[in-house]
Amino acid sequence: MNFDINTIVYLLEIIVGGLLVGIGVHFVPVGGAPAAMAQATGIGTGTVQLAAGSGLTGLLAAGLMMSVTDNIWVILASGAVGAGIMIDATMLTGSWIYAYAVGAPFASAKVTYDPITGWSQPPYISPGTVGQGIPTICFVSGTIGGMMGGLGGAMIYYPLYLINGNAALSAMFAIGIFLVNAVLASWNIQGTIEGFHDPKFKKWPFAFRACAVASVLLAIAAVMITGGA
Amino acid sequence: MSVGGGAGGAPSAIDAKKLRIYGLVGSVVGIYLAAILNSALNTTLFSFVGAVASIFAVVMGANAVRRVCGYGIGTGVPSIGMLALGMGIIATMFGLSVAEAMGFGLLGPIIALVYAMVFGYIIGVIANKVIKFNIPVMEEGNADLSAAGTMAILGWSFAISGSLSYDAIVTNVLMTGYIAIIFIAGGLAILHPFNACLGPDEKQDRTLVNGIMIGGLAMVATGIAAISTQGLASGLLLTVIGFIVWYYFFMWYYRLTKRDASAVVGTGLLPPSAQ
Repeated sequence: MNFDINTIVYLLEIIVGGLLVGIGVHFVPVGGAPAAMAQATGIGTGTVQLAAGSGLTGLLAAGLMMSVTDNIWVILASGAVGAGIMIDATMLTGSWIYAYAVGAPFASAKVTYDPITGWSQPPYISPGTVGQGIPTICFVSGTIGGMMGGLGGAMIYYPLYLINGNAALSAMFAIGIFLVNAVLASWNIQGTIEGFHDPKFKKWPFAFRACAVASVLLAIAAVMITGGA
Repeated sequence: MSVGGGAGGAPSAIDAKKLRIYGLVGSVVGIYLAAILNSALNTTLFSFVGAVASIFAVVMGANAVRRVCGYGIGTGVPSIGMLALGMGIIATMFGLSVAEAMGFGLLGPIIALVYAMVFGYIIGVIANKVIKFNIPVMEEGNADLSAAGTMAILGWSFAISGSLSYDAIVTNVLMTGYIAIIFIAGGLAILHPFNACLGPDEKQDRTLVNGIMIGGLAMVATGIAAISTQGLASGLLLTVIGFIVWYYFFMWYYRLTKRDASAVVGTGLLPPSAQ
């Protein structure tokens, strides 16, 4: 490898991408197993699955756009929009199931009034649960989180592809970087979060620091690999 | 202490240090043995030794998962398995690529292992100091996990490509997409054992036997992939050995499950009123 000014730019892009993933995870309404039983607000699966899902979609969308153009802004936008659509589709179809199959009213347990619609929440929370479904505020927060994850995925993939010129290798490597940052962030939020209105969201600086250290180490490894055959 | 090493803060029948030595030595020696046998005899028949080496790493990883997750990490056991494989894939590619660039292709696994353990240890320190987990075994647990993920990916990649050279692994494993199979099957072998057995009556031997069993299943999957990259003989050999490993350890796991269950009774079909 040749170390020049481009290498520093690549390093920075990968680090920023990793940080975007780590922070983006905090926006996605993750409910885990309780949400799968409609006993907590959010999407009924784990953080890592959602983060990996949005990141991989972002990566695919960015990769597709890279085969057409090499304008970085279009590629990043494509990644962000792709991942945002993926998370939105997950939340929308999940909402249908909560609304029409489970029959639960959507309510957030972390705020009294939904900051966006202004609707009262506590009367709709079933006793013994911490909210159900995906209320408006969580949906908006999740869209932002998904787009940040996709942007991060695209931002990791783009420099990797420029370094080694091997799409498969870059994609796998980006998944590795993605998973490490997503797991660190999910450890920080301890499993479940509703979105940016959740009190747990205030813990994001810890994830920022953790992901920064991890991303630096990952980026240094990333710029040193070659494309192989 | 109970027969198989009971749970609760994860005391164990087999010491973690001993398992770490077995895992590291077993996987490194296995991968090198496979590589040397394959190149010396000019064949790919010994690729299965690499897959067996992965199982040593899996046992070490499954034990690390049970030690760390015994404290409760709040996000579910799968997250830590995905972390192990995420770190593993980066360390594997980094090690093989750097060794190739330096001109010592055979050093790849060692460089990958060293990077993985250092990186895993740092992730453990971050988890304890920055995210404030305060789990006493987090640092060494993460170093173990990272090393296990790396050696598992490396062993199964070798089993598919039949060679330790970076180019061969990129062409046969990454470009073909078989890495995704290794990623998920290997991840399951490391994370699933504790996920399946966790609870107040979790026993170390039952958990680890479950890990070897899933390692066998991963061998079957890599064997099917190897048929397309190395030809029928090597691939089929890998598949058959994987099946034997799976069957033997499945029966063992079944025995241990019956040992640990309070009672094994046949319930029959559901009575009509319950339907």
